[in-house]
Amino acid sequence: MVTPDPSSAAKPPVVQVRDMDFCYGASPALHDIHLQVQYHRVTALIGPSGCGKSTLLRCINRMNDRVTGARVTKGAVLVKGKNIHDSDVDLTQLRKQVGMVFQKSNPFPKSIYENVAYGLRIHGEKRKSVLDEAVERSLTQAALWDDLKDRLQANALALSGGQQQRLCIARAIATLPDVLLMDEPCSALDPISTLKIEELMHQLSQNYTIVIVTHNMQQAVRVSDFTAFLHLGKLVEFAPTEELFTNPREKLTESYLRGTFS
Amino acid sequence: MNPVPTAENPFAGDNSGIQKRETAARWALRAGSYLVVLTTAAIMLHIFVKGAPVAFQSKWPFINTQFLTELPATLHVIEGKQGQHIETDVNGADAVKKQLGENFLSEKTISYSGGGILGPIVGTALLVVVSVSVALFLGVSCAIYLSEYAKKGKFLETVRLAILNLAGVPSVVFGLFGLGAFVLTAPKFVDVPAERSVFSIPLGFTTLSFEGWDTCVLSGGFTLAFVILPVIITASEQCLQAVPQGFRETSMALGATRWQTIRYSVLPFATPGILTSSILGIARAAGETAPIMFTAALAFKDKLPWQKDLPPLPADASIFAHWEQSVSRFLGIFTESVQALPYHIYTLAAKIPQNEYAERAQYGSVFVFLVLVATLAAASIWLRIHLRKKYKW
Repeated sequence: MVTPDPSSAAKPPVVQVRDMDFCYGASPALHDIHLQVQYHRVTALIGPSGCGKSTLLRCINRMNDRVTGARVTKGAVLVKGKNIHDSDVDLTQLRKQVGMVFQKSNPFPKSIYENVAYGLRIHGEKRKSVLDEAVERSLTQAALWDDLKDRLQANALALSGGQQQRLCIARAIATLPDVLLMDEPCSALDPISTLKIEELMHQLSQNYTIVIVTHNMQQAVRVSDFTAFLHLGKLVEFAPTEELFTNPREKLTESYLRGTFS
Repeated sequence: MNPVPTAENPFAGDNSGIQKRETAARWALRAGSYLVVLTTAAIMLHIFVKGAPVAFQSKWPFINTQFLTELPATLHVIEGKQGQHIETDVNGADAVKKQLGENFLSEKTISYSGGGILGPIVGTALLVVVSVSVALFLGVSCAIYLSEYAKKGKFLETVRLAILNLAGVPSVVFGLFGLGAFVLTAPKFVDVPAERSVFSIPLGFTTLSFEGWDTCVLSGGFTLAFVILPVIITASEQCLQAVPQGFRETSMALGATRWQTIRYSVLPFATPGILTSSILGIARAAGETAPIMFTAALAFKDKLPWQKDLPPLPADASIFAHWEQSVSRFLGIFTESVQALPYHIYTLAAKIPQNEYAERAQYGSVFVFLVLVATLAAASIWLRIHLRKKYKW
């Protein structure tokens, strides 16, 4: 999908999940997950509902910390080579560099400009020129700039559903994160908006590393370079997307892909 | 086969009485609702009919300015031999008697029923300002902590139980609590601790003495704050919970701290509701009598809180030249005891002999009081509509 870039191929994986167990209180949610996400590639997480793919995604920016009793019980998650559960990791810095887009597009009921500038503002950026520049860059990368440049002060809620989701992407990339996590970003959108977001992901993968959770297997085929298949909290198979879909190694993967899942 | 129309009604009721019970239930519920409306209308109408003539007048400026701008005073009613009744105050009584001369029959004095009710209005306003400031600060802090920070568990349950119990405490108990806590033991800075001081901590340049604030606006305001605190906490928490979780998640996912998230993405959208509830809190605080009886209110006071026998500031000086004195005199307003509307109404109704003149003052006070509360309620509705437009999601 993306032409291999020797410089990024040489880099170590940006996200490494090493033999990780994860529990919500007493109930285990993920078991022995081992996963490596390469720089500037799109990695898709697929699997049936409740298999833990969203939980895995939220482990990468520690959004699970918000859930009482949720914790990693074994193994580690490394982002850019650093264990993100180390005590000297500042969550605000981690999340600045690991952005996230949610299933439901949820722009703040503020102006388009303020939505995109939010991330920079909370990290203390006050210079208007820097904010202006970041807003223009982010909106351009999210393919919104041409449509919205004349009404940056309009309320973000006035946008269509697809535009809102792209605005959320622009908001997430305004802080120039290394990794962009997407939790079923198209599940609430119509087919045309979905197509636009998928095109966008192709372009974004030149500058960002994307991890996407999707329940739509065709989408995984269309957008991702690597695919991980999860089932009941276990990583069943992780391979280049083409390989996984055409020639799955595991029986379970094959039956899930064929839809003859028991 | 086409259905054949039959003469028989296939949907006829079976006379089991369920329709009758349905009608009965509907009417019983309807009667209850009507009774509520009727009661409200009866109270309002009665007070309007009796009170409006006191607050308004038929001549320009149509509002009885004397009633709204003067302090309560003793009313002197002088009866002449021709059956005329002349109302006057204590200063005018002698002149009227002299004028009547031979015709003078009798003189009646009715306490508190003359003059106006400016004192109670001002007192109530001051009490409300203090109590709502304190209650909003404490209540919103508490609500934010409970809603955004506290982990679900024993502690949270305990706090909620405490709030629920606080809401159930009778208001007279709050009054006594205020008497003990604020009037008699609250800490204040003094040069020399009073004899009744519970204990005092010398700080070198001054002394922190737990000797209470006396009966004053501050004591009463703090007491009232605790009366309305449960309402404000509960309502604020509901408003915070009504802000979509997605705003918090998004904000945190962008690297915001919890406080930044609250400050920029939760509180602005909860503010309309919090303000609405606080205005309803104002109405509650303005109407409570028992909590202020021991802590702030006097039955009668012939001075407004800022009218004190203090030497005037030097005439040449601007307010800035003596700002320290100006500030301390301004703050002195809050350490004065005051009259308050609900307590004034109680005094008029229960502490003086009843006659047509006292009744007039009673209804006038109640009417003005209700108009003030209704204005506040209307303001809260307006504010809600206005802010909803600005911060809708």
